[in-house]
Amino acid sequence: MSAEQTGQFASLERRLGGFVTALWDTNPRLQSMPVEPLAPPGRASFGHGVVRLPERFRGFTPAQATRLYHAAIAHAGSHIRFTETRFTQGSLKPVQVALISLIEDARVEHLAMRRYPGLRRLFLPFHVASPGSGGMAPALFARLARALIDPDYVDGDAWVEKGRAMFLAAADDWCSPAVSRSIGGLLGNDLGQMRVSFNARTYVVEPAYRDDNAGIWIATEPPPPDAASETWLQAATITPAETEPPRGPPDEADNQPANAARPAAATEDGSPPLASYPEWDHLIRQARPHWATIRAYPARAGRQEVIDEIIASHAPLAHRLAALIEHARVSRPRRLRRQAEGDTLDLDASIEAAIDLRAGLLPDPRIYSRMERRHRDLATLVLLDVSHSTNDRLPGSATSVLALERAAAALLGDAMAGLGDRFAMGAFCSNGRHDVRYSVIKAFDGSFDGAAKRRLAGLTGSLSTRLGAALRHASRALGQQAAYRRLLLVISDGEPSDIDVGDRRYLVEDARHAVQELSLGGIDVFCVGLDAGGDRYFGRIFGRHRIALIDRIERLPELLPLIYLRLTA
Amino acid sequence: MILDSHRITTEPYYCAAGDEIALFAAAYAARMPMMLKGPTGCGKTRFIEYMAWRLGKPLITVACHEDMTASDLVGRFLLDANGTVWHDGPLTRAVRHGAICYLDEIVEARQDTTVVIHPLADDRRVLPLEKTGELITAHPDFHLVISYNPGYQSVLKDLKESTKQRFAAIQFLYPDRALETAIVAHEAGLSEDDAMRLVLVGEAARHLKGHGLDEGASTRMLIHAGQLIARGVAPAAACQVALILPLTDDPDLRDALTATVDACLR
Repeated sequence: MSAEQTGQFASLERRLGGFVTALWDTNPRLQSMPVEPLAPPGRASFGHGVVRLPERFRGFTPAQATRLYHAAIAHAGSHIRFTETRFTQGSLKPVQVALISLIEDARVEHLAMRRYPGLRRLFLPFHVASPGSGGMAPALFARLARALIDPDYVDGDAWVEKGRAMFLAAADDWCSPAVSRSIGGLLGNDLGQMRVSFNARTYVVEPAYRDDNAGIWIATEPPPPDAASETWLQAATITPAETEPPRGPPDEADNQPANAARPAAATEDGSPPLASYPEWDHLIRQARPHWATIRAYPARAGRQEVIDEIIASHAPLAHRLAALIEHARVSRPRRLRRQAEGDTLDLDASIEAAIDLRAGLLPDPRIYSRMERRHRDLATLVLLDVSHSTNDRLPGSATSVLALERAAAALLGDAMAGLGDRFAMGAFCSNGRHDVRYSVIKAFDGSFDGAAKRRLAGLTGSLSTRLGAALRHASRALGQQAAYRRLLLVISDGEPSDIDVGDRRYLVEDARHAVQELSLGGIDVFCVGLDAGGDRYFGRIFGRHRIALIDRIERLPELLPLIYLRLTA
Repeated sequence: MILDSHRITTEPYYCAAGDEIALFAAAYAARMPMMLKGPTGCGKTRFIEYMAWRLGKPLITVACHEDMTASDLVGRFLLDANGTVWHDGPLTRAVRHGAICYLDEIVEARQDTTVVIHPLADDRRVLPLEKTGELITAHPDFHLVISYNPGYQSVLKDLKESTKQRFAAIQFLYPDRALETAIVAHEAGLSEDDAMRLVLVGEAARHLKGHGLDEGASTRMLIHAGQLIARGVAPAAACQVALILPLTDDPDLRDALTATVDACLR
């Protein structure tokens, strides 16, 4: 992290997310708001499950800014928790709206501080208004804000003191937002009679950690477009349905030569159907027979060096994995003799020990034998989601989700090949129910060699995510493997979706049904979800104990082999 | 008596969160095998100690681990001066002499190990000793109890259905705020107010389960922090040492938890 980045939103995002979740058991998406050089200072804003914070606060040292961000997210979280119903503007004047908001800010902060008294230490230092700040409306507002939260502050202005007295007198009713509405309305009337003018256009909420209050009023204009579409969080939300099959731009990470991108076009129309599968319709509670058609799309070849470079660039990790693998390595069940502990007596050793005892010698205590059963009877299929959303780049880096999936799969493949485990690898995307595309990267009987690595390197992200059909198809290959344990490991970046499905629940329920069918057939399904907020649908599909959600996607290459080793330990 | 050392003589501190004491007592009266489910550090082991004391029965606890074999439970032949001699394992001792046998974290044991409890956990109540050819009928006082923490272990390592369905289960959760405050205050020797602050920290940390933490802060951790505070450690430092550092290695999450602890303290 560079020096000028400390104290800025990007460096604090995960911390703030953890903080607000811990305090308020809410998991809003955090986004940064660009700050224009000459615009008025930015303020936090929340609504529609998103909290937006300025990408930086001007005029604060990094240490102050860090505390300011914490105060801002704690304040926004207090609103999310305590402002249960939003206010309607009706016939209220702008000054009343601003004052009601101000009282509401103080109300939710007091409720928050009742539970978390330490928040007072976080909020108070930013209240710096004093009687010397002046008597214009913004200054009076800031003084009132301070008077409401700082018990030691003495103001002297009659209006400010009246506001404080009314607010404190209502302490027993703080649990209801109606308090804010009535006090704010009264104070607004007073201000009008004092002929203090208020300009709603230039008004900026003080102190800096408070939000712009848009989130506590029912908007009169339409809500802002869901800004999620501009950020990496898109990977975490529903995959947008595409109406025409876009060939994603070739991934910069693997520097495709232009001619390698072509073969897909030939198969675009002519891929033969491989199989058709039923699909579960949760509305009619029945499976629609032969509903989704799987077509084989031979993976186009990339360059093998890409994969070898990935493995080489993660050398320390590969080294660590090698040690773990050594530990978990396949060994045939065998009888260990002359052990100090074991299930049964080792006859030869026992006889010798008995003879020693009779002869008055010290017997060898290692008289047991036991069976070592470290045999790994396991077949695994790794299923990669290569829908269009995997082309999204991570914030502040040129790496796409797909490139990380690829790196993770490369390392995992390397680890599994090292373990001698039986495994296959496939990738899927979909373009409506008649065209669910499945590419085999490595079959069970193939080896993880140059050809498989080239296919892995050649993956591109496009189209949508029809998860259920892909699961059923993958289970067919896996079901043919004779193994004690059969594991289907799915790596997906978002909720199932497809162009011909409008109902968000439909594909989730179908995938859930597919997982249940597989589990009846003795196949364990485990999902690695690249969406920290995805436990709602990933949990619904796979079951809460059969998912691992990764919140820092850049750690996927490191975590995936570890998850695999843990799953199969 | 052979099991005297397994008797619990002083009353263990236990605060009931619901009707689990009555439920367990009823299940014991029927000698119904019991499964205690719940996250780590929420009081399962303390509960079974308390029940053993209350029912006046000896308690044999076995901590299961992945290298445990059936003979670690049942027993094995040892060698002495005159030849081999059979030595009962903890389960066999409990069956023969009548004790509550508590198998802690049973899923950690291999599945071929856990099937030895099957004939004990249904209406047969017998333990066949394959190696000696003996068939032991369980003592009337014998009771089988296991603990089971679903979730954090490997998905490939789960109890068999045939094992699960032999047991009745009691679900343990972290106690509610008032009760947990009382527990932390008692166990750590803190004032109610200090204990309540710690419980708030614990509740906040539990919100992060699934959002970076595998498991929330347990009651046991809160007691640890409380014990440090009772010995004069500053609350923020005690939480750092006993809660935050053990819970996570992720620096961002550590900072988030540190800010949360600060918000919880006066």
